[in-house]
Amino acid sequence: MVNKKNKVIKNIGFTLLVLLIVTFCIFPFIQMLSTSLKFSWDWGNPSLVPTEINTGAYSEILGLSEDIAVELPASVQKLLDETPNLTSAQRATIVEKYTDTSDVFPFFKYFFNSLKFSLIASLCSLIIAIFGAYSIARMKYRGQKLIQRGVLFVYMVGGILLLIPLYKITTTLGLTGSEGGTTLSLVIIYIVQTLPVCLYMLGNSFRSIPFSIEEAAFIEGYSRFQTIVRIIIPLSFSAIATVWVYSFMIAWNEYLFASVFLKSYTNMYTLPIALKALFVSKNAIWDRVSAASLLTAVPVVILFMLIQKFLSGNKSEGGVKE
Amino acid sequence: MSTTKLTLGQKDARLGFKLVLPSVIIIGLLIVYPIFYNIYLSFFNVKMNGDAFYIGFENYNNVLSDPTFWASVGTTFFFVIASTILTTLMGLMVALVMNKKFPLRGLVRSLVLLPYVAPVISTVYSWQFFFDPVNGIFMHLLVDVFHLSASRFNLIGDPQYAIWVAIIFSVWKAFPFTYLMILSRLQTIDNTLYQAAEIDGAGDIRKFWSITLPELYFVMGSIVLLRFIWNFNKFEEVYLLTDNVKVLSVYTYFKAFTGSMDLGQGSALVVIQFSLLVGLILIYVKKVLKW
Repeated sequence: MVNKKNKVIKNIGFTLLVLLIVTFCIFPFIQMLSTSLKFSWDWGNPSLVPTEINTGAYSEILGLSEDIAVELPASVQKLLDETPNLTSAQRATIVEKYTDTSDVFPFFKYFFNSLKFSLIASLCSLIIAIFGAYSIARMKYRGQKLIQRGVLFVYMVGGILLLIPLYKITTTLGLTGSEGGTTLSLVIIYIVQTLPVCLYMLGNSFRSIPFSIEEAAFIEGYSRFQTIVRIIIPLSFSAIATVWVYSFMIAWNEYLFASVFLKSYTNMYTLPIALKALFVSKNAIWDRVSAASLLTAVPVVILFMLIQKFLSGNKSEGGVKE
Repeated sequence: MSTTKLTLGQKDARLGFKLVLPSVIIIGLLIVYPIFYNIYLSFFNVKMNGDAFYIGFENYNNVLSDPTFWASVGTTFFFVIASTILTTLMGLMVALVMNKKFPLRGLVRSLVLLPYVAPVISTVYSWQFFFDPVNGIFMHLLVDVFHLSASRFNLIGDPQYAIWVAIIFSVWKAFPFTYLMILSRLQTIDNTLYQAAEIDGAGDIRKFWSITLPELYFVMGSIVLLRFIWNFNKFEEVYLLTDNVKVLSVYTYFKAFTGSMDLGQGSALVVIQFSLLVGLILIYVKKVLKW
């Protein structure tokens, strides 16, 4: 009897714990969705359900509405109401400043910029890494062990540690002076950022393929190259897909290098820096920032959901990087 | 056999080298070379127009005699240690929960991965909104619901509190990775160990301390070290959430890319940060990879 009661309490406690964990994880996303659909007068409302649905932020960001009317922030309206000694010209300037539509957020432009950088960089990195990882994992030559250790080492070097020298090198080479040069520099930098993790993860996965399969292929008369293309790649499809999503995500989410290299090229902004620029551009933009945030997250979340079955369960593909 | 003909092994070695060559070139040119170039640069006064003058150790002197640098070292270690500990504990707890069977577990697993998967930039603003002094729910709870504070204040704007927000955000972002790693190890623990313990009359807590934890020891050790190294270099998660928390990466970014853009001093800072990192990596290689 006591045991049964204990068990019920335990179960309730456990369920509460699960609910708590889930809430902690998804609350920011729910809040994002909620804020993106609220009118500005509703932001202070602690309820997550908007009093009235406002799809203005989405239609503005996605360019659905032709003429965009930016709502005057409540704080500014209040200021105007409470200071009657402003001239009408001053009033007009203030209203104009806060309802300016010149810096609306062209989501699709930034989306395609991000897509361009992330796709090119992740695919290049993947192709280079497949052959490199195979060589490191399966072939014997002088320096192979050194390269293997080196990869593990550079796997942990990144971001701010490389920013200054790479920036100095590219400016010295004159690459940052033109749009083409900047694109090239950034693509190469993203390849470098993702290559070590690709090499590492793919190497681990290739090592798990029984060598006897390859041996059989050699006996059949396959060359090394044929073996890679016809045996190794199809067999490690799940690992390759996972690695590709990882490197795509690293490039898609990258802020640091983009912020420095694309600083003066507003047209080439990727989503992360555009979002940051949107946030600092004007007061009272929570709905648009939330909508843009949500839309930025959607592609990588979808990609992850697609490869999730490779991640879960017992089969972990050896370490992954964030 | 003519000497010019390569043996099969040699041929294979050549091919192997050719296959890895593109990776080696890219890593060499864009990671290894910049590391050394950075050390070289740290001995120069780099002007904004690109000119550089050799100044010996002056950059280092300037950095090391600057109290804000030491404050930033302190902030970094506080941030890294606190976030690593909390991330690991949270990851362990969630892994233990997920190792049990319960309804909708598949869905819960997907949801728990969301913080880890979503871009940093798209999650920081929601967190800022949560702590926003005017509209945020946190202040609503603190002031209006629980009356713990007399008035609303800007939590993220105050460095003293902002670092805790940064730590919580970092835990939120990173614990799914820790949890996945721990869970995959948990699932390999031999069930007969638990059965044997049960026969000996061990309760759940006893089983956790005597079986689960020792089995997880190695994987947790490596996760802690990796998390330490990664968080040590963290830039975006901290900078985008709040520029009030000056960890070393953020400090360097401000020195090198804002205001007078002092690339020389920035390089010196990077060399210092890098040396600390190499120390950590060596510990990692020695301790973890030997396991």
